[in-house]
Amino acid sequence: MKISLNWIRDYVALDAAVPEITRAITFLGFEVEHVATTGAPALEHVVVGEVLACDRHPNADKLSVCRVDIGPAGGVRTIVCGAQNYRVGDRVPVALPGAVLPGDFRIKQSKIRGELSDGMLCSARELGIGEDQGGLLILEGRPALGAPINDVLPPGDTVFDIEITPNRPDCLSHIGLARELAAGFRKGLTYPQEKFRGEVDAAAKSDLFEAVQVDTPEDCPLYTAHVLAGVKVGPSPAWMQERLRAVGLRPINNIVDAGNYVMLEYGQPLHAFDARKIAGGRLVVRRAFEGEKITTLDGKERTLSARTLVIADAAKALVVAGVMGGENSGIDPSTTSIVLECAIFRPASVRWTSRSLGLSSDSSYRYERGVDPHTAVEAARRAIDLIIETAGGSVVAPICIAGGDVPWKREVELTSGFVRERLGFDIPEPEMKAALESLELNVAHEVQTADGARWTVSIPSWRDDLDRPIDLVEEILRIHGTERIPGARVTSIGLVAEDDPVVVFNRRASAYLVGHDFHECVNLTLRPARELTTWVSQTAAAELALANPFVEDQSHLRPTLIMGLLDSILLNQSRGTAGAPLFEVGRIFVEHNGHNLEGASAAFVIPEDAARHWRRREPADFYTARHHLAAVAAAAAVDLGSAPITPVTGPGNAWQEGHSAGAGAIDQGWVARFGLVNLALLRSLGIEGNVLAGTFTILPERLSDAAPRLRFRDFSLFPAALRDIALVVDRSARAGDVRSEVARAAAAAAGESFAVEDVGVFDVYEGKGLPEGKKSVAFSLVFRSPSRTLTDEEVNIVFQRIQDELGKTSAYQVRK
Amino acid sequence: MEMHEQLSTLLTKAAEELQATRTRPELEAAKARYVGPNGEFTAIMKQMGSVAKELRPAMGKLVNESKARLQALLDSRLRAIEDSELSARLGPPIDPTLPSPDPGPGTYHPLTLVREEVCRILRKVGFTVADGPEVETEFYCFDALNTPPDHPARDAQDTFYFPPTTSFDNVTVHRPGERYLLRTHTSSVQVRTMLKGPPPIRIVSPGRVYRRDTTDASHSANFHQIECLYVDRGVTVRDLKALLDYLFEALLGPGTKTRFRPHYFGYTEPSFEVDLSARHLPKVNKEWIEIGGCGIVDPEVFKAVGYDPDVWTGYAFGMGIERLAMTLYGIDDIRLFYQNDLRLLRQFAGGV
Repeated sequence: MKISLNWIRDYVALDAAVPEITRAITFLGFEVEHVATTGAPALEHVVVGEVLACDRHPNADKLSVCRVDIGPAGGVRTIVCGAQNYRVGDRVPVALPGAVLPGDFRIKQSKIRGELSDGMLCSARELGIGEDQGGLLILEGRPALGAPINDVLPPGDTVFDIEITPNRPDCLSHIGLARELAAGFRKGLTYPQEKFRGEVDAAAKSDLFEAVQVDTPEDCPLYTAHVLAGVKVGPSPAWMQERLRAVGLRPINNIVDAGNYVMLEYGQPLHAFDARKIAGGRLVVRRAFEGEKITTLDGKERTLSARTLVIADAAKALVVAGVMGGENSGIDPSTTSIVLECAIFRPASVRWTSRSLGLSSDSSYRYERGVDPHTAVEAARRAIDLIIETAGGSVVAPICIAGGDVPWKREVELTSGFVRERLGFDIPEPEMKAALESLELNVAHEVQTADGARWTVSIPSWRDDLDRPIDLVEEILRIHGTERIPGARVTSIGLVAEDDPVVVFNRRASAYLVGHDFHECVNLTLRPARELTTWVSQTAAAELALANPFVEDQSHLRPTLIMGLLDSILLNQSRGTAGAPLFEVGRIFVEHNGHNLEGASAAFVIPEDAARHWRRREPADFYTARHHLAAVAAAAAVDLGSAPITPVTGPGNAWQEGHSAGAGAIDQGWVARFGLVNLALLRSLGIEGNVLAGTFTILPERLSDAAPRLRFRDFSLFPAALRDIALVVDRSARAGDVRSEVARAAAAAAGESFAVEDVGVFDVYEGKGLPEGKKSVAFSLVFRSPSRTLTDEEVNIVFQRIQDELGKTSAYQVRK
Repeated sequence: MEMHEQLSTLLTKAAEELQATRTRPELEAAKARYVGPNGEFTAIMKQMGSVAKELRPAMGKLVNESKARLQALLDSRLRAIEDSELSARLGPPIDPTLPSPDPGPGTYHPLTLVREEVCRILRKVGFTVADGPEVETEFYCFDALNTPPDHPARDAQDTFYFPPTTSFDNVTVHRPGERYLLRTHTSSVQVRTMLKGPPPIRIVSPGRVYRRDTTDASHSANFHQIECLYVDRGVTVRDLKALLDYLFEALLGPGTKTRFRPHYFGYTEPSFEVDLSARHLPKVNKEWIEIGGCGIVDPEVFKAVGYDPDVWTGYAFGMGIERLAMTLYGIDDIRLFYQNDLRLLRQFAGGV
């Protein structure tokens, strides 16, 4: 909101400089977004002069050599001038040597094309007070010669553009802000003098207007109307126009301007009707009919809904209540009688109307934030004073009033001890009390208690935001000054608490991946719909959709971090930055069998390294992805090695069939996918080369189970016995399945006698020496006893049993 | 030939022959030729018996000296062969100026670096890191934080909502039928933490938040916040100021100042905006930069989570991580954080 300093000075005698006032506004709690100064800056050595003579410059067609009288002290000077718009005898601003004009333009004595010039005759722009009007600024009214130019030019104004927080609707007005500044500068506040006090001009008594009727008191708790007759519509006076313009309003006419002026002064919106245009002489506050139309003052026809509140006459809607008047009932040059509305509308109702019509105004802005009903009549009377002052006329009927019958009274009890306890430092009691009273928070009653003075503070009606002791602590601190909060050291008691398990998982997974040369990325959570269906089912995509996306391509929650990581690969590829392994940790969202879940996830991608290196390394493959994924799962205390791993199958998958796998299921707590990203998907995205990826997701609540403390397991110090076995199996058989079979057979064969410590794959072979369609998988078996050294004999017996068992029960052939 | 002449000739020959050996077997063969049972030196030693008695001491000395010299020749040759074997294993010397063909190093994202640094600083004064869901409900995001039902912040204009039929199984609601939304601040984590257990509480909650806003150089559809909450008996405005002075001095170095400006937030009373003075940072050309908001927890918030506001007091502070990172690193477009251009990421290798 824009606040004029000249205007503020009507209510409080501020003599501080602008920077000091700006600072005060800021520390009272209102952010100053902009400060604009109008009018002339302070100009030294710029005085009034009169052009005595004007001769053509001997060496320049467009220049003149003037003789200028600057009064008894300065005498007559010779000045070269390029302007054409003046005549001999005109009085103009003269910048003398030593003057500094805006833009750091320094005036000194100089020769211009051979002629001496002892200063400069100035235009409005050169003085910093406006645009050039075709040459020199001609001073009206023949000001005294030699007078400093600042004494002659109209004084400037300073306009502050201030952000008013939603709790302070009272400060959407000059009086509201003046009250704050008066408190801030410890000055008195003078309210405008009230002339009209409700008396009716008996001579001009009129029955032009009968009554107001409020059908919706829940949305219009107060409606008042004053009737004035004999007004003469015309331009408002210059001082009023100037102030309205200064704060960004366009002057219309004396009636409308008076209403706007009072709105900016008191924060109370007002509306004036032409009384003759009110059919039936009654105003009704009612809901619009569904589809009812009105053309608002901005010239647009608006279709209203049954929820819109309107002010209507017997025939039609005249005003969208609290938002904007209609063209059909406004003031025009022929208006002589007016009905002045001063009303209170419920904030939510005005907000809804304003939003639904896409129409906001200075009035709706104030109503949305809340207008004080208890000063409404005062504001109406102020407007009547201004109308009578500027447009004549008189009040010809008693006020029509509906609602507003609940009187205001609020008191809050506060002790100085409470203030100290909340602030953590001391402010002397008299200062606390003075701070409250400076804001018109008057202490109605005071007693001394063990907790210091106890004050009963009356809260004025415009401070609906204050109703608890803590609210008054803030007021005292504001006036005391938040910059005066004393410094201190942090004191900290020890609490038995740990970082959230999700945080710990993120940190561990990231540390592993960064340590393995991955770069951490951050991508947006919201993704386009079409992309989701590549990764998840239609059903899942529908469940992850927002009700109100802001832009089309950010309409759905991400079901995987890989989407964003592929974007990052593509961006770097398109910018010619060589690919590098990337990862992200963050939240993802999944739909699973009709349940939506939020998961903590970590994912990585390894693009093909297209850069040329002087020495080539072994490229990453599926098992690289599996290796890293196992480490990420371990960060969540999940052992990927002990979970069944199944290949990802099915067409239309984001993973490449035959080259990717998964483990776990989200409804059991966690899920993992890893391997090659679908080549067709990569091609459709425009990514060159293969991309290996891995993603691990766990439900946060699953991580929340406190991990049991690790326990040491004793191990044998006796030597191990090793045996190797190779099995010929179908090419399509999975090593994991074969291994389980071997491990099972080995455990069965060893029985109770000793342990089969490990069964590990050490070779996979197909080709020469093996039948078509077969491969050989070789395992090394490790046997060990906790209590003795195993003999070859006993191991051989067990090993033979394993071979027999495998040969007998499985489809595998032991390779000799 | 006299014996001493024989010895001298033998040593000269041995020196030449040993010098020519290249491998251990060659050396062993050569050694056998001289000092083996049938070796030439062994043969000379055998002649000692026939030497005249009076010449024996002198000859004995000569033989011993020759033997020592021969052994020295053998030892030195063995060392030379061992050295050459080692250098054969090493291959040619490397060029240390060639770059490693391996990728790396890996990097943390600048937003993570800033977040972790703030958490680290706060952990030292007793804060633990809390976390919570990004999908939230109206209660945790608004109601419990003293946001009135018709407050503009919860309008569909500013907040992302889910359709009324959408729900999330592992995001608990407080009341049946609550609407799900994307959290607009991490304060919802504070509410969940307070509902989980009694005070005292000292948490820092970093995380991703969402606003329905146009994307430009300083706005993004999602961004990150970091918030602190401390609840205990007798927590004061002065304690809050002390925390922020500590945090920003630890983060930005000595000479960093903070100041409070009164402001308004529904969930704190009194409320302040926090400004930072750090002229020593690059691209900071204002005396004060607005960095976050804070205040004393509003009693209404305590009531909503079942804490007695007459017993417990607390403070809360929050700021945007992007904004802090932009200030710290001199990054002037928020969108750079979400593009993941490796030329940006690599600048933060090993970084603080």
